Amino acid sequence: MKPIDEIQLTAYALGELSAAERAEIEDRLQSDPAARAAVEEIRALAAQLETELKNAPDISLTDDQRRRVLQPPAPTDGRLVRFSWRRATGFAAVAAAVTLVFGGVLWQASRNLLQNRFAKLCETSEPAISCEIVQTDSQTLDELLVPAELPDLVDAVAPPDLDLEMTAPPEIQDFCPAPVMDSVTELNLASDAISPIVMKGLAPGQMANRSGAGRTASLRCYGGSWAPHPCAVPPENAESYAPIQGNAFKQVANEPLSTFSIDVDTASYANIRRFLRAGQMPPPDAVRIEEMVNYFPYDYAPPQDDVPFAVHVESAACPWNPAHALVKIGLKGKELAADARPPCNLVFLLDVSGSMDCDNKLPLVKKAIQLLARQLTARDRVSIAVYAGAAGLVLPATPASELATIEAAIEHLQAGGSTAGGEGIRLAYDEARKTFLPDGNNRVVLCTDGDFNVGITDSEELAGFIAERAQQGIFLTVLGFGMGNLKDDRLETLADKGNGNYAYVDSFSEARKTLAEQAAGTLFAIAKDVKLQIEFNPAHVSAYRLIGYENRLLAKEDFNDDRKDAGELGAGHVVTAFYELVPVGAESTPGVDPLKYQSREEPPAPPANANPEWLTVKLRYKLPKANQSAKIEVPFVGGAAAFENASADFRFAAGVAAAGLMLRGDPSVLDLDYADAIAWTSGAVGADPGGYRREFLDLLRNAAALAPRPTDAPVPAP
Amino acid sequence: MKRDKTKWIQEVVARYERPLCQYAFRLTGNYESARDAVQDVFLKLWRAKVLEDERTAPWLFRVCRNRCIDMLRKDKPMQTLTDAQAAAVPAPGRSPAEETSLHESASLLLRKLAELPANQAEVIRLKFQQQMSYREIAAVTSLSETNVGYLIHVGIQTLRRQTAQS
Repeated sequence: MKPIDEIQLTAYALGELSAAERAEIEDRLQSDPAARAAVEEIRALAAQLETELKNAPDISLTDDQRRRVLQPPAPTDGRLVRFSWRRATGFAAVAAAVTLVFGGVLWQASRNLLQNRFAKLCETSEPAISCEIVQTDSQTLDELLVPAELPDLVDAVAPPDLDLEMTAPPEIQDFCPAPVMDSVTELNLASDAISPIVMKGLAPGQMANRSGAGRTASLRCYGGSWAPHPCAVPPENAESYAPIQGNAFKQVANEPLSTFSIDVDTASYANIRRFLRAGQMPPPDAVRIEEMVNYFPYDYAPPQDDVPFAVHVESAACPWNPAHALVKIGLKGKELAADARPPCNLVFLLDVSGSMDCDNKLPLVKKAIQLLARQLTARDRVSIAVYAGAAGLVLPATPASELATIEAAIEHLQAGGSTAGGEGIRLAYDEARKTFLPDGNNRVVLCTDGDFNVGITDSEELAGFIAERAQQGIFLTVLGFGMGNLKDDRLETLADKGNGNYAYVDSFSEARKTLAEQAAGTLFAIAKDVKLQIEFNPAHVSAYRLIGYENRLLAKEDFNDDRKDAGELGAGHVVTAFYELVPVGAESTPGVDPLKYQSREEPPAPPANANPEWLTVKLRYKLPKANQSAKIEVPFVGGAAAFENASADFRFAAGVAAAGLMLRGDPSVLDLDYADAIAWTSGAVGADPGGYRREFLDLLRNAAALAPRPTDAPVPAP
Repeated sequence: MKRDKTKWIQEVVARYERPLCQYAFRLTGNYESARDAVQDVFLKLWRAKVLEDERTAPWLFRVCRNRCIDMLRKDKPMQTLTDAQAAAVPAPGRSPAEETSLHESASLLLRKLAELPANQAEVIRLKFQQQMSYREIAAVTSLSETNVGYLIHVGIQTLRRQTAQS
């Protein structure tokens, strides 16, 4: 038996351990007399310290001071927070000093946001930096420190491309109209050439790095954000996106199997739309092609028999490379009639922190919940929990038939208070568990603008917590609202861990789409852990690449491993994936040199009696309550139909995928421009009941206008 | 509401005036600075929300700590200090009485406590003088709980060794 950890033993002696840890130590102490003696000694010393420290010199305020503090101070003016950065020389080596000046009028506008833990920074390291906070009035931000929120200062991973703006002249610069200051910042500059630095919308845990021409600056922001007014359009670098590396072509001879998890999320599309509407190209890492393609409804036939979904495969010439073929794999989930669907136990967890106080956030959340509540019936339960400075339950489980009660609770929600949350997420899950419906759809619906700080701050721990609850049958749907602070990568991960989905709601029409028109898909899983594995026939296909789904790839062994988590499919959901294939006999695979050591003869023409199948789609899924998966196999005999003759769904979706590749800057589409994608999709709009496809065309026209490359062809009118 | 706040502040002042002064004195090494810091802390209460009991102490001590470190910094312009250094640097102009109190010469244990590295002595005081939990101490000092546990452990080991020798 290994000896008891000494630090743990001290903590035990001082009563700092949890019951479980205590029991473990006590167990060990039975057989360890030396440790028992140590515990005794520590306790004796502790008692002596307590006694003697009581006799410490007695200091108190003067009577005058005491009188002063017991009187309410005269009201002071509102204030403005200003930041100025200045260089200083002197102390140690090359020193850059940073001065923060506070004076003026901040308060009213974003007092709610000004919150917790603004503390001093001033870590000195090599090279020396000094940072001091100069107060121009007596108030400091200390008062905003709320202890319960302190322990979660997180030092998180740096996003790839946060930018520091460097400008001159150095003297005081107003930071932004109503800056938010809830951060502990640490500056670490290695430069003798940096004058002032203006922080642009740094968000919690982000680190900015800039290097080049012999100077580097890094800036870390702990647990808060330096952000402009929450309703303002932010610099994009306040948002964080996980980097995406596009899938490369794979040789069928080497890797005949391609395996991935389905993804029904659509958030990326809504986010791209926000950028394009604002006249900005989205950052490439914000573009998840599968989410763009899956945003649109496609007219796939639902399954006929008992299986939860139908598989539809179609092929045609690849529009951006006619020598290649494009194969579309479409899944269509079973539709659920309103009376056939299971009862719902929905717990909404709403972020009501100050940053949600914009028209496109909390008010939209309210409308979204109302929309959803109206879809529900007396069998369903709705609860609402909120988090801001503290977590709380504003609506205990209520039958959805009591719409007035629910709507009243929704109406009364107000944004205010700091974002840092108490035990928001635990509260929501506890509530869901209390009203757990064994045969129902138990789900937490998180509505947030991205500062996801709801009590469990360690991302891993949070993901683990959510995954564990998903195993117990409580799923998670994440609805992202607003802009500017969106932690897209984090929210997507959470939804995935929670066997749920993630949608980005930027407008009332988006709320309508997600929560009314497609409520069933958003709320009712008909299958979970849905994985696809495609086996390609080397007689017909020499190479392939999967378009999108980069963060959904699985190892081939994972396909049959029921422990491997994968995506959910909701009722009526449609999932579409594209493969770009290099047929045997076409030019060699793009980007891959021929193998030197494996003599590979020219591929023989497929023998006449060869299996005509190009590929087989294998699908594994579990029913929502099942632990064992079932498998469906669908072989596909391809054909080289001309793109123009493909179905309208095929042409439209292919155009969306092409636009996605372009937005990502994929090298295979460098010679395309958005006019091409417009040409491919404009004839495939069809009936377009929600107007989504027409809207997409409009976005493509924006992209065409914004694209840096010269467009020769005029953009066709709708 | 206003009344409640006044009452709350009266209670907080009555309860924490002396503990905060002691703590501030340890950080500044100077009665006057300690009192000024504590006065500032209490004045801030008027602009703060009414806190629940269990959050009050960490808030007060944390704000007090920041205030003391600020004051030490201002005494030494152009010099940057880490919190630990700041806590260890005594302010100038201490009276003999302060000098004496600072070293608590009455007791071997308290003398040895005063000789510990500043960060260990600080967390030990918060633990045994203010009866704070590791968690609360972490909130006050911006250290992690693990780090607090480590500092207390090391400090206690040293004190055990040194007081056992004599």
